[in-house]
Amino acid sequence: MTIKVQNLTKTFDNKKVLDNISFSVEDGETLGVAGFSGSGKSTLLKIISKLLSADSGKIETTRNSDIAMTFQYSALFDFLDVYHNIAFPLLERREFKGKYNKEELKKIVAQKLKIVGLQGIENKFPSELSGGMQKRVGFARAIVTNPKIILYDEPTAGLDPVSSTLIEDYINQLKKELNASCIVVTHQMSTITRACDKVILLYEGKIVFKGTTEEFLKGDNPYTRQFITASIEGPMEIKSTT
Amino acid sequence: MINVKDTLVFQGLYYITRELKDFLITLGNIGYDFTKVLFYILRLRVNLKALIEQSSRFAVDSLPITLTIVGMTSIIISMQIAPELAKQGAENYIGMLSALVMIRELASIMAGFAIISMIGSSFASELASMSVSEQIDAMRVLRVDPVEYLIVPRFLAGVIMMPVVFIVASFTGLLCAGYVSKLTADLSLLNYIDSLWRGLYVRDIMIALLKSAFFGGTIALISCSSGYSTRGGAKEVGESTTRAVVWSFLAIAIWDYIFAALFYL
Repeated sequence: MTIKVQNLTKTFDNKKVLDNISFSVEDGETLGVAGFSGSGKSTLLKIISKLLSADSGKIETTRNSDIAMTFQYSALFDFLDVYHNIAFPLLERREFKGKYNKEELKKIVAQKLKIVGLQGIENKFPSELSGGMQKRVGFARAIVTNPKIILYDEPTAGLDPVSSTLIEDYINQLKKELNASCIVVTHQMSTITRACDKVILLYEGKIVFKGTTEEFLKGDNPYTRQFITASIEGPMEIKSTT
Repeated sequence: MINVKDTLVFQGLYYITRELKDFLITLGNIGYDFTKVLFYILRLRVNLKALIEQSSRFAVDSLPITLTIVGMTSIIISMQIAPELAKQGAENYIGMLSALVMIRELASIMAGFAIISMIGSSFASELASMSVSEQIDAMRVLRVDPVEYLIVPRFLAGVIMMPVVFIVASFTGLLCAGYVSKLTADLSLLNYIDSLWRGLYVRDIMIALLKSAFFGGTIALISCSSGYSTRGGAKEVGESTTRAVVWSFLAIAIWDYIFAALFYL
C-alpha cells in the first residue's frame, strides 16, 4: 500500500466538503477521482499534498518519497524560463543545494523534457508555450525529484482531444518510468478509461462508488450510470452553485 | 413587523464587525509572516541572488519617481518659505531649515510614498497573481517555503535599500531647495551651504536612516503579506494591492509619529 486515506473529513464554512472518505492506492496503481465540480476532488488532492489540513482522519504513505502534484492550470512560475521552472526544487530546496553542478542539472532537465516530448525548449518562458506544452512542463517539474507518488489535478482540462490523449499517455509513461502511484482528479471519461486502474466517484463529499475502471464503466451503480451518460436525471442533483 | 437585519443600526454594526475582523486577520497574517521572515534571517537563510535582484528593483527602479517626487516637494516648499524668510531678513536660516525639514521628515516620508506607489503595489500584485494562479501552492508542494523564497529577499531589500534611497533623495531635495532659494531669495550657493551645515546633525541623519530602514521593511512586509494571502481572482488581486498601499501609508505614518515622539519630544 502506497497511500491509505482513512476517514478523512473537511469542512468549509459549515459545509462538509469531504465526509468520512476512505480509500487506498497500491504501488504502481493509478486511482481516478471523479465527480461533479464542487464535489471535493481538488480539496482531497490538496489535503494529500499537505496544502490543506483535514479536520479529521488520517493519511498514510508507505513509500518514503516526495509527493508530487500537477495543477489544473500548470502553475508554472511565469518569472522563470522552462529550465529554471523544472530545476526549481533542485536549485532551491536545502537538501539539494550544492548537490548538482550546472552540467548535471542541464542533463537532468533535458532528460525530464525528453520524457514529456519537449526537448530543446529550456530557454522559453511559460507565456510562450501552448496550454498543452505548459501542462507537460508542469509534469516534468513535478517528476524532477523522481517522486513515487504523483497527484494530477484535472490534467486534461481545457485541452483538445488529441492533446488530452497525449497527456493521458504521459501519465501512463511516467507511472511506468518512476514506478509511481498516482491519483488523477478528473471528470473526463477518456482520462478515466485510458489512465486509471481504479476509480472513486465523489458526490457531496461522500464516495458513492469505489472499484476498478471496468466496474465503473460497465457496472449498474446509478451514480456511475448518471456520470457516464452525463444525464441530468439520476440520484446526483446538479446544484446551481456547481 | 420590523426585520432587525434590515435596520441601519444592524447593518452598520455588521459592517464595522466585518471590517474589524478583516483588520485583525490582516494584522495576524502580517505578524505571522514577519515571524517567519525573522526566523529565516536569523538562521542566515537568505538567497543572495534574489536579494540583489530585489534590492536593484527597490532602489534603482524606483529612483526616478522617488527623486521626482522629493525634488518637486522640496521645490514647492522652498518656493513658499524662502521668499518669506528673505523678507524677514532671515535668508541665512534657509539652508538650515531646509536641512532640518528634509533630513528629519520630508525625504523619508516622500520617498516612502513613492516606494509604496511603485514598489509596494508591484510586490503586492505580483504575489497576489502568483497566489491566485496556484504558483505559491506549487512552490509549497515542491517543498520550497514561499516566505523564504519570495518575502525574505524583498523584506531585506526594503530594510537595506530604503536608507540608500533616503540619502539620494535628501541630497536631491537639498539641491532643489538651494536652487529655488537662489531664484526666489537671491541666496548665493555658498551662503546656502554654510547655512545648511548648521542644520545638519549626525543624530538627525542616524535617526532618519534608521527610520528609513523601518519604512522599507514595513512597506515590503505589508505588501508581500497582502499579496501572498490573496485568494480568488482578478478582483481579489486588485483588492490586495489596494489594501497593501493603504496599510503601508498608514504604517509609515505611524512609524513616523513613533520616531518623532521617541527622539524629538
